[in-house]
Amino acid sequence: MTAKRLRGIALLAISMVFLLAWAFPIIWSVMNSLKTDSDVLAYPPKLVFTPTWEAYRDVLFGSGSILPNLLSSVIISVGTTIVTMLMAVPAAYALARLRFRGKKFAGFYVLATQMLPPVGIIIPYFLVLRNIGWIDTYQGIILIYLSFSLPFAIWLLVSYFEDIPFEMEEAAYLDGASRLKTLWRIIIPQVRGGIAVTVVFVFLNAWNEFLFAVVLSGNTVRPVTVAMFNFVSVEQTLWAKLAAVSVLAMLPVVVLGVVAQKHIVKGLTVGAVKGGGRR
Amino acid sequence: MTTTAVTSVEIASEAPRSDFGRVLAQRERRFAAALLAPAFLALLATTTFPLLFLVYTSAFRMDLAMPFTNGFVGFENYQVLLSDDRFWTSLLVSLVYTGSTVALQVVIGLALALLVMEMKRGQGWFRVIAILPVVLSPAVVGMIWRTFMLAPEFGIIDFLAINAGLGSKNWLGDPTLAMVSVISIHTWQWTPFAFMVLLASLASLPEDIYEAARLDRASAWQRFRRITLPLLRPAIVMVIIMRTMVALTAFAAIFTVTAGGPGTATEILNLYAYRKSFTELSIGYGSALAVALLIVTIIISGILFAMRRAK
Repeated sequence: MTAKRLRGIALLAISMVFLLAWAFPIIWSVMNSLKTDSDVLAYPPKLVFTPTWEAYRDVLFGSGSILPNLLSSVIISVGTTIVTMLMAVPAAYALARLRFRGKKFAGFYVLATQMLPPVGIIIPYFLVLRNIGWIDTYQGIILIYLSFSLPFAIWLLVSYFEDIPFEMEEAAYLDGASRLKTLWRIIIPQVRGGIAVTVVFVFLNAWNEFLFAVVLSGNTVRPVTVAMFNFVSVEQTLWAKLAAVSVLAMLPVVVLGVVAQKHIVKGLTVGAVKGGGRR
Repeated sequence: MTTTAVTSVEIASEAPRSDFGRVLAQRERRFAAALLAPAFLALLATTTFPLLFLVYTSAFRMDLAMPFTNGFVGFENYQVLLSDDRFWTSLLVSLVYTGSTVALQVVIGLALALLVMEMKRGQGWFRVIAILPVVLSPAVVGMIWRTFMLAPEFGIIDFLAINAGLGSKNWLGDPTLAMVSVISIHTWQWTPFAFMVLLASLASLPEDIYEAARLDRASAWQRFRRITLPLLRPAIVMVIIMRTMVALTAFAAIFTVTAGGPGTATEILNLYAYRKSFTELSIGYGSALAVALLIVTIIISGILFAMRRAK
């Protein structure tokens, strides 16, 4: 009885340590974003303080506001998501449901593209985009984001398309519906859930991307992950503002992550199970 | 489209033999081609083309700071690379970074998943909290750690170190500590991934095997060693493969924290290729480094996939 209770207490203690370790850096950033700079720098660190919205007011509406950067992030992420989905949904349907020669190879190709290190993509793309004047443009960034969002979206969607029973399509064909009509009217509504999950993940990955953004961004197009650097320089760090910007950058993805919580594991491991078999 | 009504019958049959069937199969191929074309053209343009162009540029001296020296050099970049100490150091740093972060993620993730499986209440907390680090941008994570966690004195880790009697440390300025820091940050962010995947596959293991083992009086360790581990092996190998690929090309979480420094202490090969190309503007040599990284990635994934097939 006591051994069992001791074990329970030990379990609880260990799990509390881990939960705290994961949550703390995030909670601490939120707390720091509500402090004044002198409170942030206080030693020992202050857990109790008078909260203020000053940092948020400054980074959003002060000089050097990050609102344009947040807008950049939104345009890039939404743009990437729309273009990706328009291409990935038909492709995934074909890979999951249709018969054609070279299907295996097509599937393998989609997976293999993910092996390419991003730095190996951005070096040549930088040269090309510089030549056609697409550095610091939305179309440049969104185009190159397809290199990682498309393979991911296609594989995630394939896994959802494969779950639909074939009878659905057959019934539609028997009723005389065309292939395109069947896809649009019968199949797509069936995978609405899968499409929603894919949208969440594509948006998330685009929002979080950094390497391509840091190379291709400029004064016009600069997402918030890159703009964050404005608050840390050799001379000084604007602590509370940096915390506020971090929280603003975290907010959308945390909300989406918690909303899509049940699908996260599937989204994170997509392609791996299937891909391994085909490789 | 009057003939489509029969299509379904043909879909179900193994191979269409009649002329009519051939027409339908051809129609299906055309439809597939039309659906695939946009995505595959985009993938060709954004992955295959850059790869070819990368290999091409790696055969040139292409120095944006000194354009007058540019020109075709053949394999010279690769010859330079083989005798470049910084390349070999960065490769070693890559292997240490990847090996240690992946090992830590799997060990801690698995231990924690086993622990959470034992819990009767509070699993939900783990599932929600574990998602937080995983969805964050590595750039934001790096920035938070660099400042609020690791800054001397008021950073929480340093504060804890001082109170533990270790004294204030230069977490990102000392070569060894900087490496430990970037490894820890990556492990912090991605262990929840290993944890979630392993927890999901633990939860799907058949209960009756454990029942039988318990009746046979197998100890907890025996049950883990003889039942859990073999059953989890596919999931563990999958986590290792996925995390290795990501760790090899980690960028933001090192770039924002140390930028590869101090010196080249935390400069993994990926970061070296970036710095060479975009800081030192030596694009040709940077391309050769990126090709080397691709080759390393292919070799390592080859080994891992062989491991996956082996019993």
